[in-house]
Amino acid sequence: MDRKLVSVLLALVAVLVFFVAIALIGPLVNPALQLDETALLRFVFVGIGLLIVFLVYYLTRERKIWEVGTREVVYMAIGAALYAIFSYLFNGTVFAVPSVSQVALRPAIAIPMFFGYAFGPAVGLFTGAVGNMFGDALTGFGLSPQWSVGNGLVGMIAGMAWLFEDKKKSINTVIILSVIVAAIATALYFLNRNQANMVFFDPENNIFGDQQITLFAGLSALVGLVLVLVVRYVFRSNIDVAAAVTWSMLGNLIGIGFAAISDIWINGFSPAVAIVGEFLPSAGPNMIFAAILVPILVAAYSSVQRQTGR
Amino acid sequence: MLVTWRYRQRNSLVQSFDPRAWIIFFGCFLASTLFFWDLRYLSFFFVIALTAVFTSGVTWKESRRAWLFILTFVTFFSILTFLTGRGGMELYTTEHIITQVSAPFKIFGWQPTLWVTAERIMFSISMFARVFSIASMTILIPYSLNPSLYGVTFRRLGMPDKIAYGMDLTMRFIPTFGRDFSLTMDAQRARGYEIEKISGGLFAQVRKLAPLVVPVTIHAIVGSEDIIDAMDLRAFGVGPRTWIQQLTFRRRDIALIAFGVAMLLVSAALSLFTYRLWVPDFLLAMAGG
Repeated sequence: MDRKLVSVLLALVAVLVFFVAIALIGPLVNPALQLDETALLRFVFVGIGLLIVFLVYYLTRERKIWEVGTREVVYMAIGAALYAIFSYLFNGTVFAVPSVSQVALRPAIAIPMFFGYAFGPAVGLFTGAVGNMFGDALTGFGLSPQWSVGNGLVGMIAGMAWLFEDKKKSINTVIILSVIVAAIATALYFLNRNQANMVFFDPENNIFGDQQITLFAGLSALVGLVLVLVVRYVFRSNIDVAAAVTWSMLGNLIGIGFAAISDIWINGFSPAVAIVGEFLPSAGPNMIFAAILVPILVAAYSSVQRQTGR
Repeated sequence: MLVTWRYRQRNSLVQSFDPRAWIIFFGCFLASTLFFWDLRYLSFFFVIALTAVFTSGVTWKESRRAWLFILTFVTFFSILTFLTGRGGMELYTTEHIITQVSAPFKIFGWQPTLWVTAERIMFSISMFARVFSIASMTILIPYSLNPSLYGVTFRRLGMPDKIAYGMDLTMRFIPTFGRDFSLTMDAQRARGYEIEKISGGLFAQVRKLAPLVVPVTIHAIVGSEDIIDAMDLRAFGVGPRTWIQQLTFRRRDIALIAFGVAMLLVSAALSLFTYRLWVPDFLLAMAGG
């Protein structure tokens, strides 16, 4: 192992020892102390997310798609800056964006998906993670690093289409995986129909993430899935569009799923709250944007490519 | 054309430190603040944030918009949580009612009632302190970090050359794309497109956002060719990069980093035991319990 890896591992061990020591010594000083690990967990989940990213990278490190040249560096920066700007503008504080049946319009998510698919997983990862971080900083929200990692995963997975020789085959696998995830989430919705929609805020009507989730929001993952499938078959001759939408869908399901599931431990949500109240109303609509905006971007970009010959 | 943040050299506390030291301190500050909901600890961070703001030399005139945005946002959400009690549910389980104000009228048989409870008061105050501390420290960064030092700062923080340069470009692009966005929006408005009045069903609405999202994105990608060419001509990424400015830690920078790291460790240790809301005794006494 090289020296860098060893020093990183040593640092991790030191951090671990520090917390174990605190947890053991604290109660000796004051017996009334009780462990309350909520705040720390969000950083643990960042570690888990990064570990997933590292594993995927390590297993496929020979592939050319991970190479980062000048072009990729600039695209990373553009993607992250665009994602930050769009999420700042469309988060409801700058524009009062309309919402339909509890589904607010957050089109920014199309950016990491498109950049991931068009320029590779490394660009997608940077776009999602750094863009989300700067977007949060612009808005002045506190940061939720686990959501940054989740957004990074969205972009990275969207770019993993290029890891497969046969794109068409990969699309089918991706669709099967997505159908399974969407079906599980939707089944959970039907088992917990009274769950509140945690991500729907409408201050004018006195709704702060406490209104019962609507049928449409609950089914949005299914609606998104159907929409993606429609796009996939309408554009079956255009493999680029088909691969872009399906891989974006999988990236969205896994990335947002990761962030929502980590909230089970971080915010102490029950699995039903995390899946039905948080995952469905954020991942479902994202798929609708994936199905509509990503193909438009892919088509626009390919005509630019034809024009400039790059 | 690149638009820049409103940086200028100021005679301020923030700028008297090495940018790396300040970024590390900022990171520690952010993480430490997030550990707490207890106002007694939060007030410590609140004081640090206020000190940084008032010694920053950033004038009200140049940062007015940012402050107004943050203040409206923070106040709105604090009052909101106070009125509705939403958001604090993870932090407290019982509420002690101090007084209740009922509206003298009924709407469809429902009488609007405001429950003033000790927990809600403390939650909204804590929320204010927390969000304000984080937001104000974040606002200071673009005003006080020299844009020509972005790259070398991230590089010397240990990031690889390419990632450091990527971060540099990201920070430079954000104001540029912000301007591009408003230009695009003005252009589309001139053609009769109005984002405020997007109509139709959900799918139609999403599709109607394309005239904003697509031009800005594609324009950014096309415009980047010049930057890519310029970087390639200077052999970007061929060998280890050198930076024209050098950064050196002085004693005060080391002290700031040490303070930041110590703050983070102590906060992390304390947070293992106190994440919950703190409600002072006199408020509980007012509630009669």
